Amino acid sequence: MAWAKQGREAAFRELVRRYERPIFSLLYRMVRDRALAEDLAQETFIKVLNAIGSYNPQFKFSSWIFKIANNAAIDHLRKRELETLSLDGSPHATTPDEMTATAPQLGDRGETPLQELEARELGGAIEHAIARLRPEYRTCILLRHVEGHSYEDIARILDLPLGTVKTYIHRARNELRGYLEDRRE
Amino acid sequence: MTDSLLQHLTPEEIELWAQGLCPATRDAHLAQCAECRTIAERERKLIRELAQLTRFAPEFGFVERVMAQVKIPTPSGPHLRPHTDA
Repeated sequence: MAWAKQGREAAFRELVRRYERPIFSLLYRMVRDRALAEDLAQETFIKVLNAIGSYNPQFKFSSWIFKIANNAAIDHLRKRELETLSLDGSPHATTPDEMTATAPQLGDRGETPLQELEARELGGAIEHAIARLRPEYRTCILLRHVEGHSYEDIARILDLPLGTVKTYIHRARNELRGYLEDRRE
Repeated sequence: MTDSLLQHLTPEEIELWAQGLCPATRDAHLAQCAECRTIAERERKLIRELAQLTRFAPEFGFVERVMAQVKIPTPSGPHLRPHTDA
């Protein structure tokens, strides 16, 4: 029994090792925050490994894990969009003083080592261009051209029709080229 | 002239060309169409740039942090593995 358990544990570790970089990279490029991407990656692996009994082998394992990771990223981005304060402060502020008090303070914090690392890792022109894509386009382009998934796999991961995936990828490449040309001019 | 020689490349065909997988018949079109060639070259450059992006790694100890929260199934039922720092 102990050997059986150890075998399962070794297999789980191997799965985490095999997918930690691709999953973390996708999440990091989606949320652009190292610590948060790591939390989401951890959440993804825990969810996948704890539900491994329900895994359907007809579905590619990589598609399954990327689907869960992408859902985690999209859920987070939606939540963040709702929580984002406007530069004028909280929408509940009713007086100019309240607006000033709740407005985000820009430029008043030094960069932490983690922020410096993020700026180095995600500071290149292509990374900036990817960040400007809307989330659906960003996931599609990363899955296709960074991770090398087929169009069919991406359609399964994102629960989208194949034609939509093709359109998103084509548009995303056009936008990326446009952003990169703007930067180079 | 055949249709495949006259028709411009679709975005998918351009992607195939960028990966060196475009059928020879479409290569013939590309050889004679400056417009498609320009688009295809730009696409190839972008696709290569994307393919060369870094695969980032999470902080050291990620596997252990995950494994500490995973229930390892056993014949007597799943249980949490005790956490160890490796």
